[in-house]
Amino acid sequence: MENLLLLLDGFQVVFTLQNVLVTLLGAVLGLIVGAMPGVGSLAGVALLLPLTYRFNPTTAIIMLGALYYSNMYGGSFSAILLNIPGDTPAVMTALDGYPMAMKRKRPGQALFTSNISSFVGGLIGMLILTFMGPALADLGLKFGPAEMTALLLVAMTSIGWLVGKNPTKGVVLTLVGILIATMGMDTLTGSPRYNFGNMYLLGGIPFTPFVIGSVGFAQVLKLVSEKNNKVEPHLEEKLTIKGSLLTRHELRRLLPPALRSGFLGTFVGVLPGAGATTGSFLGYALQKSFKSEEELGTGAIEGVAACEAANNAAAAGSFAPLLALGIPGSGTGAVLLGGLMMWGLNPGPLLFSTQPDFCWGLISSLFLANLLTLMIALLIIPFLIKILTVPIKLMIPAITVICIVGAYSTSNSMYGVLVMFVSGVLGFVLDRNGYSTAPMLLSFVLAPLLESNMRKAFIISRGSIGIFFEKPISLVLMLILFAIILTPIVRGVVTKIQGSRG
Amino acid sequence: MDTKKSFGVRTLIPILTAVVGIVFLLLGLTQYGFWHELRGPLPGFFPTLVGIVLVIISALALFQSFRDPARPVPMENWLPAVGALGIILGTLVFGMLFSIIAFLIIWIRYYEKYSWKTTITTTLILVAIVVGVFMFWLQVPFPKGLILDAFAY
Amino acid sequence: MKKTMLFIALVMMVLPLFAQGEAEQTASGEFVPTKTIEWYCTSSPGGGSDIFTRTIIDIIKAEGLANGQDIVIQYKTDGAGEVGRNLVSNTKAGKADYTLLTFNSGDLMPMVKNTPNRIEDFTPLSHMAVDKHLIFASPDSKYQSAEEIINALKAGESMVLGGSKGDDIACHAALSEELGVDQDTFSYIAHDSTGAAITTFLGGHVDLLISKPAAASEYVTAGKIIPVLALSTSRFPGNLSGAPTLSELGYNDVEVPNWRSVVGGANMSDAAKEFWSDVFGKVSQTDAWNNDYIDKKKLVPDYMDWKEYKAYADKFQADYLKTL
Repeated sequence: MENLLLLLDGFQVVFTLQNVLVTLLGAVLGLIVGAMPGVGSLAGVALLLPLTYRFNPTTAIIMLGALYYSNMYGGSFSAILLNIPGDTPAVMTALDGYPMAMKRKRPGQALFTSNISSFVGGLIGMLILTFMGPALADLGLKFGPAEMTALLLVAMTSIGWLVGKNPTKGVVLTLVGILIATMGMDTLTGSPRYNFGNMYLLGGIPFTPFVIGSVGFAQVLKLVSEKNNKVEPHLEEKLTIKGSLLTRHELRRLLPPALRSGFLGTFVGVLPGAGATTGSFLGYALQKSFKSEEELGTGAIEGVAACEAANNAAAAGSFAPLLALGIPGSGTGAVLLGGLMMWGLNPGPLLFSTQPDFCWGLISSLFLANLLTLMIALLIIPFLIKILTVPIKLMIPAITVICIVGAYSTSNSMYGVLVMFVSGVLGFVLDRNGYSTAPMLLSFVLAPLLESNMRKAFIISRGSIGIFFEKPISLVLMLILFAIILTPIVRGVVTKIQGSRG
Repeated sequence: MDTKKSFGVRTLIPILTAVVGIVFLLLGLTQYGFWHELRGPLPGFFPTLVGIVLVIISALALFQSFRDPARPVPMENWLPAVGALGIILGTLVFGMLFSIIAFLIIWIRYYEKYSWKTTITTTLILVAIVVGVFMFWLQVPFPKGLILDAFAY
Repeated sequence: MKKTMLFIALVMMVLPLFAQGEAEQTASGEFVPTKTIEWYCTSSPGGGSDIFTRTIIDIIKAEGLANGQDIVIQYKTDGAGEVGRNLVSNTKAGKADYTLLTFNSGDLMPMVKNTPNRIEDFTPLSHMAVDKHLIFASPDSKYQSAEEIINALKAGESMVLGGSKGDDIACHAALSEELGVDQDTFSYIAHDSTGAAITTFLGGHVDLLISKPAAASEYVTAGKIIPVLALSTSRFPGNLSGAPTLSELGYNDVEVPNWRSVVGGANMSDAAKEFWSDVFGKVSQTDAWNNDYIDKKKLVPDYMDWKEYKAYADKFQADYLKTL
């Protein structure tokens, strides 16, 4: 209750002309930055940071917070329209968003679904943040290396379904993804691994160019085969917001996944090392256990809703450890933290008590940013769809350029462009031969988390595997893991026994 | 001319992944260490295990691949890749912005045979995005290429 | 018509690039910058090195110390920073006078360990500030003082220390050696950042925490962590003053300072070297530096000009090489 009053105080801080304008500006910039493949919130936030020094800290963090937040909205735009995720959490959005736009010919609805789900997910995340922020942050702390290992093992079992029609090929790429991810510096020992004596590989394969290439550029190469397709005439009708609305029934379909993912995503955002990408993946995986009216992966509303809600919720959730404990959950969080220090605030457990105006002002501004971004995102749907009327023949060179420029800007070097190019060519060839690249990208993200947590757990336990069963949270998760693995086997055995009896 | 029973790209893929698996597992065992009594898994543990599984599954995929139809890639699908390579090489000499402009003009006008109006419009829009978002806002220092570097210094 | 317009546009884009002067030296052989300076930073924007670099650049601009020339930051994070460092070390003479690099102990150590580059491939310019470490325990842990912890370790009880990568690892190694305990009794878990280490520590998953003052002090004030040992030659000020140094406990002091400095490539001219060393000296005396940066980040200001810094860096590298 007290928090609600503090939140209302926060709204008073937010509703000054300057702060509202700044929220608007941050929201718009975030949408743009988010939609650009290769540029994530980290770059946008880091480079706007110096501009904010002239503002007071509250105004500054409101702008940056809005930018970080709306970035999650923007990432899905290019994912849905072009099958090129604007940022890594949007990789999952593309899986259902793009088929929905293309095969089901409902791009407006896809964007609408994505925006509404993002709003719902973010709203849930912020409400939880408001009422349970510090408690949530403390809960996140309880997830140490052993608990994270168990949790990630459970998550990895859900990667199984992603492998698609041909499990063998899917697993091959999943494993390749894990191996590629091991290249570079091994944090735990401080020594390089699998860099084959190359200085560039000391830093490993950078993820963003890798994604841009294997998803984006590969898509461009694929589009060449479709370039002579005529632009769908029916798209002309859908170019209004009215034409993009979902039916009431569809809205009802959207809610359960969005709500579930909202809660799940918020929680994932609080966990150490897990962010919006992991959140969107787990949200999508969770949806698999529930019924979806259309099959996931074919353009189902539930699919888009589940991952978009999750990634926005995770973004909100990651503010919990940042504000309550002063611990950044991600690179962008670290930049925000640095900004806090430069503005003279001291992030840490005391921030809420020493700087309530700032903290609650920020949280309130997130609500406002969520609303503003939703409105803007919905309004520009017609413009976005117009992109689809551009002939494919022009899109091909245009996206090629964007891929190159985006890949370059991730590290200001041609190395990123090379990675993008190679992964694009390979991704195209693999896709053509039935290997889907999505599991590879996900294992690239999750496997290093799993490995490092597992090794840390073993160092703590001095080589004993017991640690995974001694700590309560970890024990529960391990039991769930066994249940998931054994259930199909047991079921199979039982069926066989019943069959042989009959 | 669809199903070739002989080797092709589709069989090459699992062979390559098996090779990758072998490389990682060999290096993992010999150079990075497998298990330490007190520290648990060493840097080589995970990659070695994954490498072993990869080799096995790659073999499985290899046998399956003989039954897959061959899907040769038409020449035109490679053109964007050639174009991208052109941009990369061009960047080294002329800088990225020029190479991109050259690529767009050549592709849209001479390859796809659009009018000059379309070509210039598209090129300008993309240049506006590149310069506006990436150069001014994000301050990304695009390479200027050998020629311009020579002038500047 | 359109072709002409395009041509004119292209020419106009190229012209500004010609507006660069040539390097000059005044009659007395002193160096005065007459072109844009490029300052390389090998970690991502928003991080500690970046803030360090931007703070100095802002001060230089405000005080007009670079003859009005622009200083542009170039981020080169490839290869865990090695590519950027390698690039600077190889810059040709002339251009090297206009190329600077932010260089920390946390950069030197992996560079020496994983590449053939050494400090000799650079021109040390100025050592600006230093950061040292402390060991922390939690209010709930069994042992609350350095003596208790050390005695327990020597009796064979195992403990896990959590910290970041880089110099934290070296601190742990040096501390273990000084205390005479092996690294499996006193194990270490490296995290990608101190923030991650603090998370693991606050969750009770490791016994002890190693951190620099800036990241830890708020938690001390909040009572969540307790400083127990100072890895330095003297106690820390403020709320960290309760932690003794090793020499107070009968051992040799252990410290692996995390220093922040600026270097140039090996081909930098002597005149430029003197110039930059002098500029950074002036920076270190400004209020903006001391109040807005050093104090805020709880660093220890420690300006060394190029002579002192070179000697210091040489010794640091030699000491570190011995441990490898």
